[in-house]
Amino acid sequence: MPEVPQNAGYLVAAYIVTAVILLGYTLSLYRRSSKG
Amino acid sequence: MSLLHRGRWITLLGLALLAGVYVRALAFTPVERLQGPAQKIYYLHVPAAIWAETAMVLVGLGSIFYLFLKDRRLDRFAAASAEVGTVFAAIVLTTGPIWGKPIWGTWWTWDARLTSTLLLFFLYIGYLLLRGAVRDPALGARYAAVLGICGMCLVPFIHLSVYLFRTLHPQPIILKPSAPSLPGSMLATWLFSLGVFTLLYVGFVIQRYALSLLWEERNGA
Repeated sequence: MPEVPQNAGYLVAAYIVTAVILLGYTLSLYRRSSKG
Repeated sequence: MSLLHRGRWITLLGLALLAGVYVRALAFTPVERLQGPAQKIYYLHVPAAIWAETAMVLVGLGSIFYLFLKDRRLDRFAAASAEVGTVFAAIVLTTGPIWGKPIWGTWWTWDARLTSTLLLFFLYIGYLLLRGAVRDPALGARYAAVLGICGMCLVPFIHLSVYLFRTLHPQPIILKPSAPSLPGSMLATWLFSLGVFTLLYVGFVIQRYALSLLWEERNGA
């Protein structure tokens, strides 16, 4: 049986990037509405 | 409760549930044996891709109806959907290569699916730039509507590109004519994530729509 690849670092990177993009956009909307 | 606050609450609920998706995907969903943990990127990448494409379809539909009816609510919705679609497209274009490196051995390849998705992202950017570049809001809305309709026409091509061309990108394993090829627990995680991305899309669009209303009120438009 082949070994399971050890590539959890890529998984963590993708999950962090997604969270940063979504939180960044949420913050951007909040700041724009506060200015408006 | 104002539209803006409603959108904020929906977004916050979506972000809280996204944390639940992370926990479920990382701790309670089995690791795929051939791809390893990197396969779990799928639970974010595909829902983001579905909403990046659906957002553009909604931009196109809103644009068509705007050109016929001249109802500014439709234009506001199209602009909001385009901005949110750009965010989801950015997620697709970052998580995709992060998955591709360990699985394909390369971050990027110029195959039909990847290239057409990059084109979708550029269309979104072009749409947003065009709206900002034209001083007359009505004229800008008309130009943007035409670009939005072009973007909508690209979406079926993106979806079918894996069938029409020989690509490195995997074929759909859920959105296909036959039954999904994912085991139940993986499918449940994916559906949960799709629901959360749907909630985030709705929350973001409501907020962005409300922002357009605020700007118009401030500028007396």
